Amino acid sequence: MELLRPESAEAASAALGNGSVALAGGTELVPLLRDGIVRAEKLVELRDVVPRGFDGTRIGAGTTLAELEVDPQIPQALREACSLAASPQLRSMSTLGGNLLQATRCWYWRLNFPCYLHGGDVCHAKAGQHREHAIFGSDRCASAHPSDPAAALLALGARLHTTARELPLSELYRLPTDDNRDVTALEPGELILELDVPQPEASVYLKAMERRKWSFALVGVAAARFADGVRLALAGVAPVPWALSSPDALEQATPLPGTAYKVDIARALIRRAVEAVGAPRSA
Amino acid sequence: MNAPARTLELGRVGESVKRVDAIPKVTGEFAYSSDLFAAGMLWGHTVRSPHAHALIEEVDISEAVGMAGVHAVLTHTDVPGAKAYGLEFADQPVLAIERVRYFGEPVAIVAAEHPEQARRAAERIRVAYEPLEPVVDPERATEQEPIHDGRPTAGHGFRDDPRPNVVRSIVIRHGDPDAQGEVTVSGVYELGIQDQAFLGPESGLAVPDGEGGVDVYVATQWLHVDRDQVAPCLGLDPEQVRIHLSGVGGAFGGREDLSMQIHASMLALHTNRPVKMVYNREESFVGHIHRHPAKIWMEHRAKRDGKLVNVRARILLDGGAYASSSAAVTANASAFACGPYAVENALVECACVYTNNPPCGAMRGFGAVQSCFAHEAQMDKLGAELGMDPVELRLRNALAPGDSLPTGQKITGSFPAAEVIRRAAALPIPEPEELPRDALRLPGGSGNTTRGEGVRRGVGFAVGFKNVCYSEGFDDSTAARVRLAASDDGIAAVVHCAAAEVGQGVVNVILQTARTELDLDEVVLGSATTSSVGSAGSASASRMTWMAAGAVQLACRAAKDELERRGGDLEHGETIDVERVYHHRPTTPLDRETGQVTGDGAHVAYICAAMRVVAEVDVELGLTRVVWIGTAQDVGKAVNPQAVYGQIEGGIAQGLGLALMEEIQTQDGLITNASFTDYLIPTTLDMPPVEAQLVEEPEPDAPYGVKGVGEPPTVVSTAAVASALRDATGRQLTRVPVRPDEIVGLP
Ligand SMILES: Cc1cc2nc3c(=O)[nH]c(=O)nc-3n(C[C@H](O)[C@H](O)[C@H](O)COP(=O)(O)OP(=O)(O)OC[C@H]3O[C@@H](n4cnc5c(N)ncnc54)[C@H](O)[C@@H]3O)c2cc1C
Ligand code: SF4
Repeated sequence: MELLRPESAEAASAALGNGSVALAGGTELVPLLRDGIVRAEKLVELRDVVPRGFDGTRIGAGTTLAELEVDPQIPQALREACSLAASPQLRSMSTLGGNLLQATRCWYWRLNFPCYLHGGDVCHAKAGQHREHAIFGSDRCASAHPSDPAAALLALGARLHTTARELPLSELYRLPTDDNRDVTALEPGELILELDVPQPEASVYLKAMERRKWSFALVGVAAARFADGVRLALAGVAPVPWALSSPDALEQATPLPGTAYKVDIARALIRRAVEAVGAPRSA
Repeated sequence: MNAPARTLELGRVGESVKRVDAIPKVTGEFAYSSDLFAAGMLWGHTVRSPHAHALIEEVDISEAVGMAGVHAVLTHTDVPGAKAYGLEFADQPVLAIERVRYFGEPVAIVAAEHPEQARRAAERIRVAYEPLEPVVDPERATEQEPIHDGRPTAGHGFRDDPRPNVVRSIVIRHGDPDAQGEVTVSGVYELGIQDQAFLGPESGLAVPDGEGGVDVYVATQWLHVDRDQVAPCLGLDPEQVRIHLSGVGGAFGGREDLSMQIHASMLALHTNRPVKMVYNREESFVGHIHRHPAKIWMEHRAKRDGKLVNVRARILLDGGAYASSSAAVTANASAFACGPYAVENALVECACVYTNNPPCGAMRGFGAVQSCFAHEAQMDKLGAELGMDPVELRLRNALAPGDSLPTGQKITGSFPAAEVIRRAAALPIPEPEELPRDALRLPGGSGNTTRGEGVRRGVGFAVGFKNVCYSEGFDDSTAARVRLAASDDGIAAVVHCAAAEVGQGVVNVILQTARTELDLDEVVLGSATTSSVGSAGSASASRMTWMAAGAVQLACRAAKDELERRGGDLEHGETIDVERVYHHRPTTPLDRETGQVTGDGAHVAYICAAMRVVAEVDVELGLTRVVWIGTAQDVGKAVNPQAVYGQIEGGIAQGLGLALMEEIQTQDGLITNASFTDYLIPTTLDMPPVEAQLVEEPEPDAPYGVKGVGEPPTVVSTAAVASALRDATGRQLTRVPVRPDEIVGLP
């Protein structure tokens, strides 16, 4: 395997594809390479080309979770989501960009079962074990998106700047379809460079886990209060980070037999998160 | 009372002595078996089955053998001696022959200059499989095709059970199994598969001796029984195989069976180079046996005053693909099924079956953990039915010396069950903490999920017991060797004992015993290998302190007698070198039809513990916080009190893990969460403070009155934590681990 170290984002973009894969902190990519889920002949190192650090409401996609979790400029929901992700060692390597693009933790997928998301015809989780799986958007694939920061950023209304365009975070994600099994809408070679993260009046991230620290979210709830209302987004409930238009929208959930309990957890967590951020000032 | 603050360097029996390995371990200087190195060594790698059950049609190694750096590629045809091995029954192929029976079963092995070369060569070994329907439901296993030809465990004096796939079944019939009570409660209880989750993966180094033999440096629990399994498979005499204990990073039963010992030896003898093997974490999950998952039905019949009349139990254990120590686990699960209570009538039926699930064997608590979870849930249920205080109910039935177990064995030694119950119940529980509090002091922990909303508090209680030492006629012994020599300041001693230090602190036991017996500070620990001293038996069954202390005491006393005979002193250059073997009192098998004791009795002695747990549960989210644990444990005599407290806390953590989060998940026999990302074990944040009381009632037949301490905390804590969660939620919680989905949605 070869490691490329391009000097500009454009050069990095150009180098991608045809067996070349972008490498940021590597905490997600390296295990996937090891397990043969991602195959690559060349790794394109992003460290020198994707911005790192923050300035006002602009955050470089190369900033590590460890850097974000401690800075008071960063909205509380994002800080909390970062500090609750993974472990300190991983957070000091993990970049925000890599975090948004991490793959599902679904065991079937990670064990290379020929499931729907891998291009097959069936979702093994639905017929098998799916306690950790989705309550929304599970028509085809019932996986649960693991990113805590993504839920926070979604509630905060973040926008992305990529090498090709500017788009709201919600448009980064898509549900897999029969002709395209991707859960993100990045074009080949497109890199996430920066994020614009509006400052809310208040925000929180609450994360229900099976262990008191260092585990993925069963359900994570981000709430951000802006002058025009409270925005909600959830981790661990759908194949992509899931925005809710209102607390009542939870009742549209379509859980699997084994995930119905997540609706109960989400309901209580949403109530608590909304209480924690309080009513909009203008209201 | 908690662990004493001050420890000594060179203490004697009964004093708190600093662990010899403590500083090197916390400073990272301790050499574990994975740190071994030999000049010119090769790296071994194992090719494993991706199927839980399949026929092997062909193994094609042609491409792999020619690859860069590769020195050997071996399959079952290269096994020089016996093709199969096993702790109790030789039912497990060294390398699979014609058929694989579990996910991860070794099929071929490779040695290469570099571990990556070995791994790549392993990838190029083409194994053609024809997948077979796996037997994965233990309840159906006794009706499905046998996964082993013949019956590996037949003819071993077990009860005849003609059903396919039965490893062992036991029926214990005691008194009148139809006896009626005034109140009856019953329930079905389940436990998932727990992993030992030791932090040091399987690893070791095999070094050929140039004369056809091999030295194996390995992290193991029982050097001599490793040797006795390795040598026949290599076609060697036992003396040609020398097993040396290397740094052990945790064991908990998971190192009783062999892992890489034969494989590395085969590669070393084949290449005439030292060969090192180290499993990675995922591989470790398939590289050792686990705790048996269980499904247990129990019915308790009692008088209105709470006195038990009759206990009926049906226990089903899933042994997985190979027998390992399943037969003994089956015996334990049945013998202790009624708990530490006097019951005049009982009918216990227990079976362990072969399936294509991950193989199960020894793990801390060994069958008693499963039974304890069920019988204590039943005692809680009975208490609720009778409207009786749970502690009072347990005291009323507590087993005492002179009483009999359902096996008919009379308890003769020390057995302070009532005392541990009283002492644990008397420990004051902490007051509920005020709100607001830090998230870390609430259910949900760092996830910041509650400020107190939804939180209910519960208090649980449980009692459990098990045997110390091996049982059912197993002739168990431990050897120790003592050498005395003149030194500049008098006499110095070297003690050899092959007891495996697996983190439990047996090295200190050996040294403290020798210092006490010889009345000497100058005692050094000699090497522990199969060539320097006789067998110590296994570091398991909570037996090693008792047995090692017994053996070292005998050897020291013999050395002292010899010294006296020589006039009380040694000349420069003169030595005394004695080896002695200690046996505990003999045991005898259970009657194969009735499960009743024959002869002296099936067990040597018993140990018990009682535990009180305070937990908080956020009933809206199903998240928990264990707030506090108080326990009283029957230890006989604490040789090194500080180490005893350590065992109690560690054992509790492991039981708490099973109660709350630890479970190997399988799909059609494949392990789906073979990593520490997906198989969760408790962190220090999940562990509450522990208040431990040691109950020291000496065991009459044991050296210094010691018993064992490693297992009771694990046996009881799973049951006790579940009891507290039941109290907080009002739910039955019949399955562990208890997950949020079983708690949420409470009205
Ligand atoms: C044990 C463990 C526990 C974890 N727990 C959590 C958790 O609780 N919550 C949570 O949210 N996360 C968790 N994670 C995920 C972790 O946060 C991610 O692995 C990490 O954020 C990925 O960042 P990275 O920089 O290492 O990405 P990499 O591994 O380098 O890359 C990940 C992917 O993103 C692509 N990529 C990276 N940067 C860019 C970019 N700028 N533009 C386009 N593509 C890019 C890569 O090509 C790759 O496909 C856990 C991970 C592990 C291993
Ligand atoms: S949930 Fe998605 S990733 Fe998991 S098995 Fe189903 S399709 Fe595959």
